[in-house]
Amino acid sequence: MTVAVHDSHVLEGVPRSRSVFQRNLNLIRELSITAFKLKYTGSALGYVWSLVKPLMLFGIMLLVFSILLKAGQGQYEFPIQLLVAIVAWTFFTEATTNAMNAIAGSGDLIRKAYFPRWILVASSMTSALLTFTINTALVLVVTFALGQLNLSWLSLLAILYYLELVVLILGLSLLLSSLFVFFRDLGHIWEIVSLVLFYGSAVVIPFQTVWDHSKKLAYLAGVNPIAQIITDLRHVLIDPAKVRSMASFIGALEVVPILLTIGIFLLGFAVFARLTPRFAESL
Amino acid sequence: MKPVVEVSNLRKRFRLPLDRSTTLKYRVTHWRSASRYRDLIALHDISFDVPAGQFLGVAGPNGCGKSTLLKILCRIYEADSGYARVNGEFSAFLELGVGFNPELTARENVFLGGAMLGLTRAQLRGKIDEVFAFAELEDFAEQKLKNFSSGMQVRLAFSVAILAETDLLVMDEVLAVGDASFQEKCFDTFSRYKREGKTIVLVSHDLGALEEYCDRVLLLNRGEIIADGPAAEVTSTYHRMIADHALAAERDMPQELRRADPTQWGSRAVELVSVSLLDAGGRSTSRFDTGGAMTLDMHLLAHSDVGDFVCGLAIRRADGMLLAGTNTFLDHVTVTSHSPGESISIRYAIESLPLLAGGYIIQVVLQDVTGSHRYDFADPAASFHINNMGGHIGIVEMHGRWQVAQEQDVRSGAITQTAG
Repeated sequence: MTVAVHDSHVLEGVPRSRSVFQRNLNLIRELSITAFKLKYTGSALGYVWSLVKPLMLFGIMLLVFSILLKAGQGQYEFPIQLLVAIVAWTFFTEATTNAMNAIAGSGDLIRKAYFPRWILVASSMTSALLTFTINTALVLVVTFALGQLNLSWLSLLAILYYLELVVLILGLSLLLSSLFVFFRDLGHIWEIVSLVLFYGSAVVIPFQTVWDHSKKLAYLAGVNPIAQIITDLRHVLIDPAKVRSMASFIGALEVVPILLTIGIFLLGFAVFARLTPRFAESL
Repeated sequence: MKPVVEVSNLRKRFRLPLDRSTTLKYRVTHWRSASRYRDLIALHDISFDVPAGQFLGVAGPNGCGKSTLLKILCRIYEADSGYARVNGEFSAFLELGVGFNPELTARENVFLGGAMLGLTRAQLRGKIDEVFAFAELEDFAEQKLKNFSSGMQVRLAFSVAILAETDLLVMDEVLAVGDASFQEKCFDTFSRYKREGKTIVLVSHDLGALEEYCDRVLLLNRGEIIADGPAAEVTSTYHRMIADHALAAERDMPQELRRADPTQWGSRAVELVSVSLLDAGGRSTSRFDTGGAMTLDMHLLAHSDVGDFVCGLAIRRADGMLLAGTNTFLDHVTVTSHSPGESISIRYAIESLPLLAGGYIIQVVLQDVTGSHRYDFADPAASFHINNMGGHIGIVEMHGRWQVAQEQDVRSGAITQTAG
């Protein structure tokens, strides 16, 4: 046991770190750790849920789409393709849903304390990123155990696709979180858009199936960033020789989803910056 | 040397929508009708500087714009025109415990609250034992905040709030929180800041505290600075303003003590010479605590023998609202003047003040038993402040008691729980 030697009548302040970057990073970390902790406090199993939930989700998806509906018949390692897509998709929906409420749900903080407002959006994404990391680790362990992992040097490209996903999510998060303060209908609209994106991005079916069904439909789906990211992740992570990339389907049009991602990010950034001064008065 | 705070022609307008439309359907169906607004100018082109080392107080009635000013200084609101610049780092206590989460432990909340102030986990780790010692919560570091009493929460919040060392401190009415012994610690902290020459902007209703700590006080009214100077001068201007305000409010209210003619103060057949407020120890003061004793000590001089007369008093809030009133007649007390030149002293003792924090005024009236002849009317006869102890809100201390009864499912055996 330590003996307190300080005078409990005086509490001297601590100078802040000079680096604003370090301070912001620290705040993002504290806020996202808190959000993650709060999700699991009070439940008997606690953090075990963060592992059990995705395992159940994977199991159900595999059962329904791969075994019952036979969605990926004739496709190389379809169960693994499904896992890769589900992990990316879960990250996307969790992050955007969290972000919707990142500003509107923090009225108290915004009205009573000053810190850069984008930190709320960044930390809501970071807590989704935590879940994503756990899920990715689970997928790696599962596939490695089954001996179905075929990583090559090309797999490093996955980092770029994940980065693209993060940029897309950040852009949408900035856009959704700031607009939601003023238009509460956005929550319902986004649910519908998410549903359309889920089926329009070939998450639970191979992109090949869409392509075989209708070229027109495939072009339409292919230019959306989620479909492109998922298809390309499958390509580089599973087996480049046996799983086709998005470029092999839609060719040079692949620049469209990439430009869209950058465009959404810039738009989100601009809208957020424009609306930030009005948050405190509107909440 | 550059001033720490520079405010120049600062203007802030709030647009209050008369009909709030945040749903898309409303926007679509009403796209043609322009949104209707009511403009509220919270700050009218105000300018002032705060040099380094100054302890500046900001006072003014509710709605005068002082909180808006603070929020613009803290970059929570944006100015419509002009600017408010802070040269250096600032930390703001607009409310204690912002960002605290009841589901987290006290220790986790220190890290979270500290991060809101710009302190990192590493910086806080070396400080955490001191924080708990100062907050007198050493044994509760691992307890969840939701299990803390409100006093404990406030002590923890205050201890975290003073952790960041910055060039400027901006504070809104957070002075003196918790129980009496912790309050003393808070005041010690403010005295230490003053000794150390910190630059502080403090908004408060507590004129006593402003006089005690501030070098200079700004008085705001309707978004304008109406007085700026040494604390004692400005607080007395404020007292006068409160009194004028109460007087103006009185004219519109058919109250017992309303004068027939506002210009006529009475015949002075009996004159109210002096009024002072005494605390439990018999000392004259204008600051009291909720639940404390207050004695109104009045000295009268009779100029003629009017016989039996009535002495009445009323307590009003700073904005003129009548809170309480009584007189000697209603309370079956006889006061008589027998001869001219007689000096009479009357005391009205309140054992336990039921009022909560704020500024109050007392009016005293001397009149005949029928109420048709007024001898003297003092408005205000005195004014006083109830110290902010934190806790209950509103004007009146209710002295209530909670009782909670719970019944569980009958099948699992009824359990009734009562707490007083």
